[in-house]
Amino acid sequence: MAAIRLSNITKRYGSLTAVDDFTIDVKDGEYLTIIGPTGAGKTTILKIIAGLVEQDSGDVFIGGEPVNEYPPEKRSAVYFPQTYSLFPHFNVWENTTFAPRIQGVGEQEISTIGKEMLTMVRLWKRPDALPSELSGGMQQRCGLARALAANASVLLLDEPLRALDARLRIELRYELRKLVKDLNITAIHVTHDQEEAMSISDRIAVIKNGRLEQIDTPQKLFDIPKNPFVANFIGFSNFIEGVIVNKTDDLLTIKGTYDDTIMTNGEFNIGDKVVASIKIEYVVVDKQNEGGPNTFFGEIEDFTFLGKFTTLDVKLDNGRKIVSKLQSTIALSYSKGEKVRVKFPQEKLIAFEYPKFGLIKEVGV
Amino acid sequence: MPVIELKNLTMRFGSIAAADNINLNVKSGEYVTILGPSGCGKTTIVRMIAGILEPTSGEVYIDGKLMNNVPIYERNIGYVFQNIALFPHLNVWNNATYSGRVKGRDRERATKIGNEALRLVKLLNQKALYPRELSGGSQQKTSLARALCSDTKLLLLDEPLSALDVVERMGLRRELRRLVKTLNLTAIHVTHDQEEAMSISDRVVVMKAGKIVEINTPQNLYNNPKKIFTANFVGESNFIEGIVSMVDGPNIVVEMNDGDILRLKSHGFTYGDAIVVSVRPENIVLEKGEDNRENTVVAVIHDIIFISSYIRYVLKTKGGDYLNVDVPITSNKRFNKDESVIVIFDPEKTCVYKKPEEGLPEVLKLE
Repeated sequence: MAAIRLSNITKRYGSLTAVDDFTIDVKDGEYLTIIGPTGAGKTTILKIIAGLVEQDSGDVFIGGEPVNEYPPEKRSAVYFPQTYSLFPHFNVWENTTFAPRIQGVGEQEISTIGKEMLTMVRLWKRPDALPSELSGGMQQRCGLARALAANASVLLLDEPLRALDARLRIELRYELRKLVKDLNITAIHVTHDQEEAMSISDRIAVIKNGRLEQIDTPQKLFDIPKNPFVANFIGFSNFIEGVIVNKTDDLLTIKGTYDDTIMTNGEFNIGDKVVASIKIEYVVVDKQNEGGPNTFFGEIEDFTFLGKFTTLDVKLDNGRKIVSKLQSTIALSYSKGEKVRVKFPQEKLIAFEYPKFGLIKEVGV
Repeated sequence: MPVIELKNLTMRFGSIAAADNINLNVKSGEYVTILGPSGCGKTTIVRMIAGILEPTSGEVYIDGKLMNNVPIYERNIGYVFQNIALFPHLNVWNNATYSGRVKGRDRERATKIGNEALRLVKLLNQKALYPRELSGGSQQKTSLARALCSDTKLLLLDEPLSALDVVERMGLRRELRRLVKTLNLTAIHVTHDQEEAMSISDRVVVMKAGKIVEINTPQNLYNNPKKIFTANFVGESNFIEGIVSMVDGPNIVVEMNDGDILRLKSHGFTYGDAIVVSVRPENIVLEKGEDNRENTVVAVIHDIIFISSYIRYVLKTKGGDYLNVDVPITSNKRFNKDESVIVIFDPEKTCVYKKPEEGLPEVLKLE
């Protein structure tokens, strides 16, 4: 086991800053996911920890020890890429026991390690199979067994599930977490898939343009995002742009761009331009006709069935379009064109400072 | 709006049947998705429809006409690939109108169709840009515009969204359905992504190992899967094996492997049948406590996972089985790790299947 500390890491490629003054602490035995859009610097960070890329400035610590000067093989951190290349002419057993073999470990111990690793990744029935005889998921599991057999205490996973089918990805993400927890190792996992990040991690670090935007548990990132970008990258949000027109203590009245009025809490002043966000799950849709604060009326424009949940596109009478996500069993009682009431619970509306470069640029939609 | 009919369509590669006796009717104006794991034969089928592959046996009909010996360029099909194949040295406009010019349309008509197609995919103001200057989503929209420019009424979409990021994928899947429906096209879309299939399609064809498992609307596939494979592949399910220990009118009493008893609808099963009970994680109700009543199982919360719209509780039953239960985040119910809970099964939301001879894991296998 090993804790990891990255302290003020910066990496530039020419005029492009891939990683920008990045500081993070990963606890011993923690499963941390780094998530961000393509080009955010996720892979560069992993490679800097592994020693495959050298940072321009800043320090990497593994297990409390500074490792800046260490070559990759001395860092006890294994980098596991998206498509892990197994030796095509070695079978599963030979691939898995490769690292202990070249480390000069004794025959009996190699046999013990190999069996343990293959049992863990559920390939113990296929030691003689060549990589070409395995499915994509099995190859990936064999790759994991090989990486883990090297006795690493830190696993650096770079989009390890991306090349697999959607349904298989769901299956393997739970296996991956179980494996890491059973082995008591520290894992840093890079992905752009928010659902994968949520289901697998103790904490998630959201990054954008090489900078850390927010790091927290999945639920806190979802419920208390620090900015509109995080609000729409971890879960999906409705955004209401407007100006503060009234303020009593910390209760704000926001005049929206559709001439609508919403109320929420926050630290702003009259005249401030803001954007309020609410997660699509927290938008309440019902058939009541009583009005009130943060309550609007509108018409259902469309349904999208997703299995467990169904999303409703609602066009409010003031012209604003809102998305609401309901359990499919509840969505069944509504139909296209139906008039509905839409409520934004005040405690679920979060007001942010209006982004400098506009909302679309900020949330990237 | 073309109608497509596949009759006993088979494609063999050596000893492997990539598509094995496929029968499928796609209605005019319908959006049909072929869903299945890698290597199940879904791409092989659209390639046979397009004329890229010559079937080993069986027939392809488009609008009632036999297509088997009709060359690919006379089938009038728009084809969109997973790997966005644009000409890198041509801008959006020239990529989109390429097929129109090849087909020798006059300039005026090609311009009109090109403008219309780019307007539809919302790329008119980017028509001078080159592929490398576009996001993945815009590149794929360009190839979609190119397919539309060929004046086709039949779109074949082979994993058109797989190469895109999540946010782009969600946006484009909406656009795809909207386009197909507003232009009155017929679409056959291949994917391995169950959520994509459900959200976009009128009907979904589930495939496994070259064969059609089941065809149905997204809602029916999800709520009443006819096959165990579907119950697991389209959405997730919990599976519990048991034996019918009693038949009681329209109901059966099922004794599960760990000794717990469930009273379920009979689904035609009788005394002594070995069965598999399947239930969706969101269709199980949890309550605090430990008293065992009818249709309940006692379990302990083993793990708690927050997945944006819902919280997944991983339970361990006293028999040692694991069950997944999903509770929406908007629900007030919350449970703690290691807490004892009562797991309540609803017979209305529980499917019962004959236990497969080859064993449950073999049938559920995803690859």
